[in-house]
Amino acid sequence: MSARTINSRFLLAGKVVGVLALLFWSVGPIYWALATSLTRPADLVSKAPRFWPEHVTFEHYARLFGAESVSQGNTVQSVWPQFSAALLNSILTSLAATVLTVAIAAFGAYAFVRLRFPGRNLVFVLVVATMAIPAYTVMIPLYRLMIMMGLIDTYVGITLIYVSAFLPLALWLMRTVYQAMPLSLEEAAWLDGAGRIYTLLRIVMPLAAPGLIAAAILTFLNAWGQFIVPLVFSPTLATKPLTVLIPEFVTRNYVDYGLMNAAGILAIVPPIILVIFLNRYLVSGLMAGAQK
Amino acid sequence: MAAVDIEGLRKSYGKAEIIHGVDLAIAEGEFISLIGASGCGKSTLLRMIAGLEPITGGRISLDGRVINDVAPKDRDIAMVFQNYALYPHLTVFENMGFSLKLRNVPKPEIEKAVGQAAALLGLEPYLQRYPKELSGGQRQRVAMGRAIVRKPQVFLFDEPLSNLDAKLRVQMRSEIRALQRRLGTTSIYVTHDQMEAMTMSDRIVVLNAGRIEQVGAPLEVYDRPANIFVATFIGSPAMNLLEGRVERSDGKSIVWLGEIAVSLELPDEVRDGAAVVLGIRPEHFELDPGQPSTSALPVVVQMTEPTGAELQVYGEFAGDRIVATFRNRPALGEGETVPMRMPQSALHVFDRDSGRRLN
Repeated sequence: MSARTINSRFLLAGKVVGVLALLFWSVGPIYWALATSLTRPADLVSKAPRFWPEHVTFEHYARLFGAESVSQGNTVQSVWPQFSAALLNSILTSLAATVLTVAIAAFGAYAFVRLRFPGRNLVFVLVVATMAIPAYTVMIPLYRLMIMMGLIDTYVGITLIYVSAFLPLALWLMRTVYQAMPLSLEEAAWLDGAGRIYTLLRIVMPLAAPGLIAAAILTFLNAWGQFIVPLVFSPTLATKPLTVLIPEFVTRNYVDYGLMNAAGILAIVPPIILVIFLNRYLVSGLMAGAQK
Repeated sequence: MAAVDIEGLRKSYGKAEIIHGVDLAIAEGEFISLIGASGCGKSTLLRMIAGLEPITGGRISLDGRVINDVAPKDRDIAMVFQNYALYPHLTVFENMGFSLKLRNVPKPEIEKAVGQAAALLGLEPYLQRYPKELSGGQRQRVAMGRAIVRKPQVFLFDEPLSNLDAKLRVQMRSEIRALQRRLGTTSIYVTHDQMEAMTMSDRIVVLNAGRIEQVGAPLEVYDRPANIFVATFIGSPAMNLLEGRVERSDGKSIVWLGEIAVSLELPDEVRDGAAVVLGIRPEHFELDPGQPSTSALPVVVQMTEPTGAELQVYGEFAGDRIVATFRNRPALGEGETVPMRMPQSALHVFDRDSGRRLN
């Protein structure tokens, strides 16, 4: 065996180990949550950890979806009312933030690229610079503001905060997308008789679709995973999302690991469905054929 | 179709003025080419006519109506872009019918108009295809089709053939010209390719550094260039230029090129001792079979290139590079000194300092 073949085998082995480590790192916790969600409460606390539950049980899921249960001799109430409300809140606030953010970014970024106005670049830099400000810096002033406007524990309030937090990234992304598009396509549309808005909606946006989808996915995932903001601004189930509800399964006397993990596993489902759905539109090569 | 009038047109970016007061009257139905080197302002001029570049000063009018402040969409001008700028997410049919759809033209009429344009351009089999499924030449045709389908007042072409290969370019050149004749639409065509300008245009406009150097019919510009810039810009290989001095005596004028005396008729304004530049196109040199005459240029041959149709001879006279072309394939050796005659009718005389034509 030549030195070269040995080298390439080492390289291959290195790659395999690297990929496995990465896979373990990213999928491992999800697997652990899944395994825990299928383990009986008694097994969770009494036995040495196992990689797969000895007796698979769906009782945690059953409790999430409305069954009463008995745990360590006590009757445990269903958490379906809380869980369903929080799930709905998560979906509503994340979707609203996504739609608003992407819509504003789609138009705003276009203005930053194609319109000429004084201070255009300065304004853009200022907007993007807000990404560097940590949430806790503005939390207290924001809280005062929200109280003044009566927006605590409302969908509007939460959505507004999400939009202001995630818009800079979406704007940045869309600006890059628009900058890469040839101006001549828009000019051709103008000469064909189209106005600016029509051109933006019918020519520019369809071609910027992959960018819009990417912005939507990023915003949705960001909003879906938010914890600090709803912890402060969503005190009741009127707007409380899953991220804040799930840790509340930790009570003074008992940490309900099974329930937390079952809820966590279910909380993965909506973003996965969304990403799979949007991924179909995330095709490349839309611009092919426009030019020589 | 419409007449286009441009008066005192200027364009500046900040303090840098790049179009310096251009005046140009384009007649209804005329095919006019703007030609010049890169950066001479020809594309900017075209884009100002289209309304894609704001005008710094002057006026552009269409049939007498000033359109300086009219939005591109309301100018009724169609443009074929250098990179075609086809809408990649629309089919050929949708690309061509886009402007009509915007004007709320009923669908049957759009179908008819697009069908006619497609027939004219040989695009009928491709109407349901997307631009990415077409060849470069077909894309070019779609870009043309998009322009003609709406019957605009004026066509603008911004180097539309520069992305095609040589053979297709020649073919499209005649197709565009034939199409324009048939439709009779006023057309302004920007190119840096003088063959395109010469073969397609009713008149050509030679631009240099934001100024018009000459406007005229192609052969007029070729035969009587207004100045040294035009003389060297139009024609390939370029016109030969030789510096000389005028001597006037007894109503006759002679231009001395070193030891060589060239008799010429010059207007009275050209004074004795004036510094001039003599120009002669490569194909106008004649080989002197007889005795070396005083007015023949003794050119030292450095290299010959047979191109098939003709022989190009590169040589030198008094430090100036000379290019001559002969159709009869003379046998000329390198290093040989060949007397080349310059017929008086083929000579162009320019003022050395201003570059202006004198004869």
